Amino acid sequence: MITVTINDKEIKLEKAVTVLEAARSAGITIPTLCYHEQLERYGGCRLCLVEVEKMPRLQTACTLMVADGMVVRTETEQIADVRRGILEFLLINHPLDCPYCDKAGECTLQDLVEKYGPGKGRFKEKKRKVPESLQDPVIVRNMERCIMCTRCVRMCEGPQGASAIAVINRGGHSHIEPFSGGRFDCEYCGNCVSVCPVGAIMSRLHRHSYRPWQVKEQYETVCPYCGVGCTVITQVRDDVIKRVIPKLGSSVNNGMLCSRGRFGYEFVGDNDRLTTPLIRKNGVLAEATWEEAITLVAKKLSEIKIASGSEAIAGIASPRCTNEDNYVFQKFMRAVIGSNNIDTTARTGYAGAQSFIENIFGQGATANIISGLANSDTVMVIGGDPTTVNPILGLQIRACARRGGNVLTIGDFAGLSKFSPKKLLPGKYTETILLEAIVTALREKKGLSGSNGPLESKIKDISVTAADAAAKCGVPEQQLSAFVDLLAGAATYSLVIGKEIVQSTGGSYKLLLLAAINYLANGRIYMLTEKANEQGALDMGCAPDLLPGYRPVAFPEFAKKYGAQWHAEISEKPGLNLFAMIDAAENGSLKAMYVMGENAVCNIPNSGRVEKALKNLDFLVVQDIFLTETAKLADVVLPALAWAEKGGTFTNMERRIQLVRKSVQREGLEDWKIIAEIAKNMGYGMEYVSSEGVFHEIAKVSPLYRDLTYEDIGKGENIYPYKGEPLRDVKEDIQVDTASAVASAGKLYLQIERPLFHSGTLSTRAASLRNIYPQAVARISSATAKALSLTEGDVVNVRTKAGSLSLFVAIDKDGDSSAVAISNNFERKGAFRLADYALDQVTKAPCIDAVEISIEKVTA
Amino acid sequence: MFSSAAIQEIEDIRAKYPNARAALLPAIYVAQREFGWLPPEAYEAVADLLNVPKATVRGVATFYAMYKQKPMGRHLIQLCTNVSCMILGAERLVDLLKSAYGVEPGGVSPDGRFSLVIMECIGACGTAPAMLVNDDFHENLTEKNLQEILEKYK
Ligand code: SF4
Ligand code: SF4
Ligand code: SF4
Ligand code: FES
Ligand code: FES
Repeated sequence: MITVTINDKEIKLEKAVTVLEAARSAGITIPTLCYHEQLERYGGCRLCLVEVEKMPRLQTACTLMVADGMVVRTETEQIADVRRGILEFLLINHPLDCPYCDKAGECTLQDLVEKYGPGKGRFKEKKRKVPESLQDPVIVRNMERCIMCTRCVRMCEGPQGASAIAVINRGGHSHIEPFSGGRFDCEYCGNCVSVCPVGAIMSRLHRHSYRPWQVKEQYETVCPYCGVGCTVITQVRDDVIKRVIPKLGSSVNNGMLCSRGRFGYEFVGDNDRLTTPLIRKNGVLAEATWEEAITLVAKKLSEIKIASGSEAIAGIASPRCTNEDNYVFQKFMRAVIGSNNIDTTARTGYAGAQSFIENIFGQGATANIISGLANSDTVMVIGGDPTTVNPILGLQIRACARRGGNVLTIGDFAGLSKFSPKKLLPGKYTETILLEAIVTALREKKGLSGSNGPLESKIKDISVTAADAAAKCGVPEQQLSAFVDLLAGAATYSLVIGKEIVQSTGGSYKLLLLAAINYLANGRIYMLTEKANEQGALDMGCAPDLLPGYRPVAFPEFAKKYGAQWHAEISEKPGLNLFAMIDAAENGSLKAMYVMGENAVCNIPNSGRVEKALKNLDFLVVQDIFLTETAKLADVVLPALAWAEKGGTFTNMERRIQLVRKSVQREGLEDWKIIAEIAKNMGYGMEYVSSEGVFHEIAKVSPLYRDLTYEDIGKGENIYPYKGEPLRDVKEDIQVDTASAVASAGKLYLQIERPLFHSGTLSTRAASLRNIYPQAVARISSATAKALSLTEGDVVNVRTKAGSLSLFVAIDKDGDSSAVAISNNFERKGAFRLADYALDQVTKAPCIDAVEISIEKVTA
Repeated sequence: MFSSAAIQEIEDIRAKYPNARAALLPAIYVAQREFGWLPPEAYEAVADLLNVPKATVRGVATFYAMYKQKPMGRHLIQLCTNVSCMILGAERLVDLLKSAYGVEPGGVSPDGRFSLVIMECIGACGTAPAMLVNDDFHENLTEKNLQEILEKYK
């Protein structure tokens, strides 16, 4: 026990902390400028100087560790004098433009000068002049205001790991610059904005549009973009979100955000939002009243149900909607329509891969705490760049590397390349043999423990020597054995699996091999998750074969039990999955579809075909917030409230349930409410009063969310396995699909680019993100560019069997020379327009890694 | 890009230091020699070789006056005009450099032959005025011998 006295107050401490931390713990404020709890200590600004008895000079409280018996004073005349002096020096170069500065009102410098003075400066020379930089889409840099605390630099180098900015020049001329001296061209996470204590690095989005004290309300909620589910705070004025900031201390993202979470909120108030229902009349979508639209949908669905049967109707739910929306939607499909034809785009990878892994290791095998990655001694990454798909998870891998952990990658991931990963780069379509060789070597080193019979029997069948693998995949033997040594030596191992593996030919077999490696190295598995509530939609039973809580619909006891709770008869026949729905729409056996919150055309591979299939339906309802390319095909379009306009819950990739809180008021209906209205019109009562009421039912019906309440969730009692019963844990025989693809020399293949600045098509509706990444491009390597005489900005036609697109060329100097990478974020320009696929027989994920693509310059 | 000799030199430098950041100063110096000054490509090349972020490399380099942020002439004259040198006529030498070669303090001669940087005492007060041309030291300068000396630098 350490006892210190600060301002005559005795403080007892368990362990040595800094004087600053000790003071804060006792409610004593010491002014600081360069200190920030997320950053390494710096001791640069000297504002925190305090008097310590028996020490000759003033000491910086932010760096000095307490010692037993220390007596400290934080506010004396001498200290006030020194602080005033320091502030006077800072103001020498600081413009006095508070009336014009967005930071005023929450500026540490302003507050400190107000408290300590000086009221007037004595400096007679001219102030330093640095023009304000407005070159960036989301950040304004005003270096006249910089006080050189270096918090931004320490943030960018430290927790963010981007190292995009640095102090340049010397003495009075020093300030902060990105490498170019002008544009940042960085990850645009804005975490430097968060930590700047003055108005030197600021968000451009709300520039000069409000004052901090005009923010009347703020709400703690969840980012709408990816499966990390970062805790964000929305700050609102007059029902407009003015700013989104991260929550310090959140167990998910602890004060960090990525560009999407911080700057991507503008879609909420966008002018293109749908405002009224639309009904197709004489071929065109015309505005209609809610009553007309709801009656029409109810009538049409009832008619089709009678004429063609329940199975002629299908629904696509949404990984962007809340659990409540998804629950009500699947209940509607099952209890009102009478069919299990319900699925989501999680089917394109996440759903199948997760159930495959859970089938091996048991339910919840992929529910691991994201921050655990930073504490792993070894992290292996395959199948996608975590720093762009799930950026905040990516930061944890960077943190692992910074702490001296081993980052192993199979493939090359730009966001990790500066962190000295140990890379294995197998040739195209040869990961399988490489993984087999790793499993073989690892088994020889570690042996089998006997704890997982079905998996071990598979592992025993695998035998590929390093020499064999080297010959086939081009990874040198020594490299492979060094890699295996690291895996074998790992005490705390984590495996991060991206979608590229799941969506590859023979994906399920590769997943088995990865599971085997994970088993042998005794690790945890993380599966990258693109959309905010992919996990929740699955938990809610938005799957053709599984009821809420993953109860198989084919087991009569479950169909009966849920049917009894829903007062309806539930079909025991598993429904059509996403891809079967498209087939059925194409061949005419499916007559009607209801799509909620999903741009199905864009997000299901082979978009052109999906478009045709949807056009072939007798009746299509699309419920969304924008008139997407899917909504444009609909017979009835129903406008829904967006994230930030409604309450509910999301479940992230860790299976953490979190409250989504309503931040702004807008006229309209939540997705679940629209569906409940339609159900009512079809003669089925759904009398929920609020999303909380829906959740109450979920907690009763789903064994997974048993007895949870919003109150528990608000308190944080919300991480898997909740209060629920453990679920079925049957270890069945493991089936795999061992299909393989062969690369032909000189051919180009389609690759899906997953950019940091976009997530689905939603982010392209946010002006700020569009300004960073404005349009789809065809990204090729410099080698390909040279071979085809293409230069950056050329217009090309890219063509596959499935379709063609005209795009601008972008050249990536370290790019894969057999790939043309295209994102799937921009409507009508998405990579899925080009992606023909075969389904993996086991995970039912589309394999889109073997799409040959040609590229041709368009001459004007 | 770097010559292979320069790459080797930087790798040798790297090997002498405990971490890459510690090797920055001599590595940037090699880059400056290779490029004549420090254009963005020079920073990028050092950053790639040492795996240090390029913004950091530039930040470090801009701290020091001896790293050149602007294109330089083929030869760098660093002439002292501090007290001793000034008293013994350094300012006339500055004028001479301007009239004879067209080079101003901080500038480059129009033919790209010389750059001139004014120094604040280079420790040769006893033999003032003094200058450095590239790495060579020249002292007891006069208007007469200055031009003779510079003739050696083409
Ligand atoms: S926005 Fe993020 S990446 Fe860019 S400089 Fe700031 S902290 Fe670094
Ligand atoms: S820009 Fe802001 S955070 Fe960065 S050094 Fe200047 S004052 Fe500090
Ligand atoms: S997009 Fe994902 S990583 Fe980025 S802020 Fe949102 S939840 Fe976090
Ligand atoms: S806060 Fe302690 S020196 Fe800046
Ligand atoms: S004053 Fe010129 S060398 Fe010292």
